[in-house]
Amino acid sequence: MTTSSVSGIKICGIASAVPESTRSFADGVKVFGEENVAKIAGSTGVQKRHIASSLCASDLCFAAAERLLEEATCNRDSIDALVFVSQTPDYILPATSCSLHHRLNLSKACATFDLNLGCSGYVYGLWVVSNLIASGSVKKALLLAGDTITRLTSPLDRSVALLFGDAGTATLLKKDKNEDIITFVLGTDGAGEDNLIVPAGGFRQPLTESNMKRTGREGGNVRSDAELFMNGAEIFSFTLDVVPSLVKRLLAESDWNVDDVDAFVMHQANRFMLQYLSKRMKLPKDKVVFAMENYGNTSLASIPLAMTTCLADRLKAERLRLLLAGFGVGYSWGGGHLCLVVKCVCLSL
Amino acid sequence: MKKKDFLALLEEIIEADKDTMTGNEFINDVDGWDSLAVVSFIAMVDENFGVTLPAKKISDANSFQDLIVLLGDKITE
Repeated sequence: MTTSSVSGIKICGIASAVPESTRSFADGVKVFGEENVAKIAGSTGVQKRHIASSLCASDLCFAAAERLLEEATCNRDSIDALVFVSQTPDYILPATSCSLHHRLNLSKACATFDLNLGCSGYVYGLWVVSNLIASGSVKKALLLAGDTITRLTSPLDRSVALLFGDAGTATLLKKDKNEDIITFVLGTDGAGEDNLIVPAGGFRQPLTESNMKRTGREGGNVRSDAELFMNGAEIFSFTLDVVPSLVKRLLAESDWNVDDVDAFVMHQANRFMLQYLSKRMKLPKDKVVFAMENYGNTSLASIPLAMTTCLADRLKAERLRLLLAGFGVGYSWGGGHLCLVVKCVCLSL
Repeated sequence: MKKKDFLALLEEIIEADKDTMTGNEFINDVDGWDSLAVVSFIAMVDENFGVTLPAKKISDANSFQDLIVLLGDKITE
């Protein structure tokens, strides 16, 4: 795993935005039956999800960013970089970060680019932006991280239909020499690419009439190749291999032990997985954040969304030691340990 | 671990009545063995044996006896 430390980075604010429209787990009863739906909800911990419908990840991130910039009374001309992390961009091209630049009325001197990562995406985004600031290339930056995975899932695929939710987030970072070190640990194993994938719609397998048709798959699931396939068992095995080592390495790099951490904010994949990983790593139960109940698995937005919903009051009032860990699609994983006090807000569109 | 204790853990996972499994059941014939059960099984094996069973080996198994064989001498009669 790659380790990278930066200092002098302040996280000035975090905002998240979710669509107003929701689905409860009970909405799956017609397709999957009451017993199945109760079993899935019991395992995933997801009772309710916010659904984007026709909204894009950029719309959610835009709303979060607007609110963040208002709260921070930030001069938009002072933002010299914008990074948009998402797997659900507005278009194949141009980069959605350019469109967001225009919508947010930022200076033409601002550098923007997209980053395509999922579950590990927020940590990677923090790593990239922190390093841009630490290198002196940038003084103030917006990290926008969001996904609308529900727009890629088949409502007839039991493994994904009741799990995912949509959200967009915005994080404002700036140079501040008084801030503590942030350490990141990152890694990749591309051998896992087929276990969480939308096979058709890119250039490896362009869309055709045939691959857009929904057909019967494993375990009675029905989906097209243009929709998300997730092999839950393989992904779970991957997390057992990687996440405990990731957390151990982060603690070692930070000189913290488990009791020094105020909150473990992991990617909100599903409750069973997080509960088991926490038990395996002997993490104090009251310090592991569970935020998927009302939002589902929101892909890369899940870590900042968890911070703005479950930790907002504490983060506003006191400096917290957080350990973040994102892991999944790719396979890609990233963790960070940081100390911060920050204002957080979550809005519904 | 004794085989009967292993079977008891399997019964919990698939929500079968106690002492109903022999291990000779075919996996495809068991209703409760779905994707959630497989994940629970991986966790159970990890917790009890310190082994992460590859998901592919689990999906290749035809019967529960095949799963027992994957654990070798960790399961005794």
